[in-house]
Amino acid sequence: MRVTQSMLASNSLRNLSNSYSNMGKYQDQLATGKKINRPSDDPVVAIKGMFYRTNLTEVEQYKRNLNEAYQWMESSEQGIEHATEVTQRVRELLVQGQNGTNSPEDLKAIAVEIGQLKEDLAGVANTQIAGRYIFNGTKTDAKPVTVNADGTLSHEMNTEAFNVEVSKGVQLKVNVNPTKVFGEDFFNTLQAIEDGLNGGSLADSDLLGKLDGHFEEISAERSEIGARYNRLEMIDARIQDQEIIASRILSENEDADIERVITDLTIQESIHRASLAVGSKVIQPTLIDFLR
Amino acid sequence: MTSTFYGLETAKRGMFTQQSALSTTSHNVANANTPGYTRQRVNFVQTEPYPPTSKNSPNIPGQLGTGVKAGTVERVREGFLDIQYRSENNKLGYWDTRANALEKMEEIMNEPSDTGLSITMDRFWQSLQDLALDPTNAGARSVVRERGVALAETFNYLSTSLQSIQGDLKNELNVSVKEINSLATQINNVNKQISEIEPHGYLPNDLYDERDRLIDQLSSLANIKVTNTPSGGNAIDIAEGSVTIELVDDNGKSLGTLVDSKFKRANEFKVGYNADNGLVESVTIGSKKMDILEFNSTGKISSLIDSYGYTYESNNTVFEKGLFPDMVGKLDTMAFEFAKQFNETHREGWSIEDYNNGAQTPVDFFSFGATTLTNPTGASSLLQVSQDIINSTDHIAAAFPDSTGNVTIGNSANAIRLAEVKNSTFRIGNDTTTFQNYYEGIIGGMAVDAQEAERLTTNSQTLRDSVDTRRQSVSAVSLDEEMTNMIQFQHAYNASARMITMQDEILDRIINGMGLSGR
Repeated sequence: MRVTQSMLASNSLRNLSNSYSNMGKYQDQLATGKKINRPSDDPVVAIKGMFYRTNLTEVEQYKRNLNEAYQWMESSEQGIEHATEVTQRVRELLVQGQNGTNSPEDLKAIAVEIGQLKEDLAGVANTQIAGRYIFNGTKTDAKPVTVNADGTLSHEMNTEAFNVEVSKGVQLKVNVNPTKVFGEDFFNTLQAIEDGLNGGSLADSDLLGKLDGHFEEISAERSEIGARYNRLEMIDARIQDQEIIASRILSENEDADIERVITDLTIQESIHRASLAVGSKVIQPTLIDFLR
Repeated sequence: MTSTFYGLETAKRGMFTQQSALSTTSHNVANANTPGYTRQRVNFVQTEPYPPTSKNSPNIPGQLGTGVKAGTVERVREGFLDIQYRSENNKLGYWDTRANALEKMEEIMNEPSDTGLSITMDRFWQSLQDLALDPTNAGARSVVRERGVALAETFNYLSTSLQSIQGDLKNELNVSVKEINSLATQINNVNKQISEIEPHGYLPNDLYDERDRLIDQLSSLANIKVTNTPSGGNAIDIAEGSVTIELVDDNGKSLGTLVDSKFKRANEFKVGYNADNGLVESVTIGSKKMDILEFNSTGKISSLIDSYGYTYESNNTVFEKGLFPDMVGKLDTMAFEFAKQFNETHREGWSIEDYNNGAQTPVDFFSFGATTLTNPTGASSLLQVSQDIINSTDHIAAAFPDSTGNVTIGNSANAIRLAEVKNSTFRIGNDTTTFQNYYEGIIGGMAVDAQEAERLTTNSQTLRDSVDTRRQSVSAVSLDEEMTNMIQFQHAYNASARMITMQDEILDRIINGMGLSGR
């Protein structure tokens, strides 16, 4: 084939421009750390990238939801713990009060303590997290137990489940049934004990039995929330696994293999140098340089 | 016997002819870098020998050669390579333009990234999840509203940006139409000049080059077929004549004549836009008007029409097709359906205000401004968060009645339902899918289109370059070759001059050296 100077020049230019475009590609990959910079570089990687990103965002959100769930459950459990302690103390006091050795003054002193314990329990029932009452179902804006001016209590309890979505389509109840822990009956029993002590006699001999009944209910609620807490921890572990997997897949899908890119870039660089060198040799001399 | 001065004439002709060859060499060297220049060659022809056959021809042994003359000055060019080049250049024009349009589209869609529509939808979903955790929190409600605004604005931005690129494409199309008409006029003018020169027996090589260069340019704009018509008169056999240029479709069927060699005129190429939607609906060449569907040709113009969008009517339905209208249409469908489904779920929920009033009032979360849309057209550019929600975040309906029909303020079941709209399956456009998948489908389709366009651009570029190399191999000026020729012609010129010196000596011998005996 007949080869002319202009062909050599334009070929040389074209090769250089291809070489620059390859180097540009590797430069983009190194600078962004990504295999692809636009969907057309690899449509499948692009679509998968979008999907995995969404996946990762969801996992992050569920982690946030989990934190909220932990907060609710731990606070609920603390409330129950407190209620348990109060019940135990009341039981001690009741047993003490049922002894025939107490003077009326002694009984009154016990009644005062029971009264205080009752109000303390009302305070625990009104526990708030970030301004929300956690022992009132989904009616989080209202106190479940109100202490009136005359010292009596009003009860208005919502028993709806407060659910938190902890993974796609899975909702977990994070509150307890407040009527089982801080129920009106419980407060009534406490009131009856207090009244009985104040009146100097504990006529209703079944108070201890009632108190034990409440204690059973509280324990049952406590084991239930314990079981749910275990489930929450399992979901948490799974979500954390998912996060690792999703990040890894996202990275495998679109992150550039830096060692490889650098190697390719180095190879391309030497090719570029070679084509520059060839260009300078091939373009210059013509016959004119050798004619007298 | 031949004349004493016979050799002088032969040598003189030799000198003249070598000189014309040297001039042509000089022309070639001077134009070595002129775009579209084809190297020229002087065809040396022996002159008629002496004596010619005739009744009174002198009776001498054999015919004596009388030397050389310059027959024609011809371009060294291969017409078949031109046809190949133009065919590849035409495909390159189509795919390159398409790849450019799709590249711009990809830049606007900007996926996968941390700023595209996909991530904006994810963030909106996140804000609804946060609202579900704490439905009474005014902060969480504001975040839902602002993320909703961000989502609507992303739709608006995508739609208006696509439409603005579409506007640019229209300008580019109009410029290309001007270019095709200007090229046609120029070719027609060159045709006229050539047809005035050729009947005199000349070869207007430089005009041929000019015309071929113009036709090369034209080939990237539209698919063309070139036919030559002889000029008549005293034109020599290798004269190329005038050219007729027709636009042809993909099957090689003629769509119309752009440059008419018979009537020596260029027919105007026009693109007709639809008055309602502004898309291309017809193409006119001269007086021949055709619907856009008949104009199935390749080239830059047709690629621009494909990207910008075209419209046609079939069975009383108006269709709007093309890369950009399709993309805007898909976004419209997505925005329309998303707003519809989201609003439906939102209308079922209870807001703080409903809770305070004790009665539920259905409120839309998204709206299309003052317009009530019955179909998706324009939805993505009009989408916004409804005025009710803008006025007060208390209108966000996060609560959903429980099994007994009671509504409490801490209930967030509807917030979860709203969040799930993104991942639920609906009928979107012609597909039954989720919004997430539908959008992934949009991006995937665009990516595959762009990849194909880029691949075919590279392919046709490689093919065109390879044909061009072959064409250059035949037609381009090689300086080494010209130098070799120069020396060759120079030596022949010198040798002819030496022949004259020799003749001079012969004559000198005859005139001054003969017949001295009589002195």
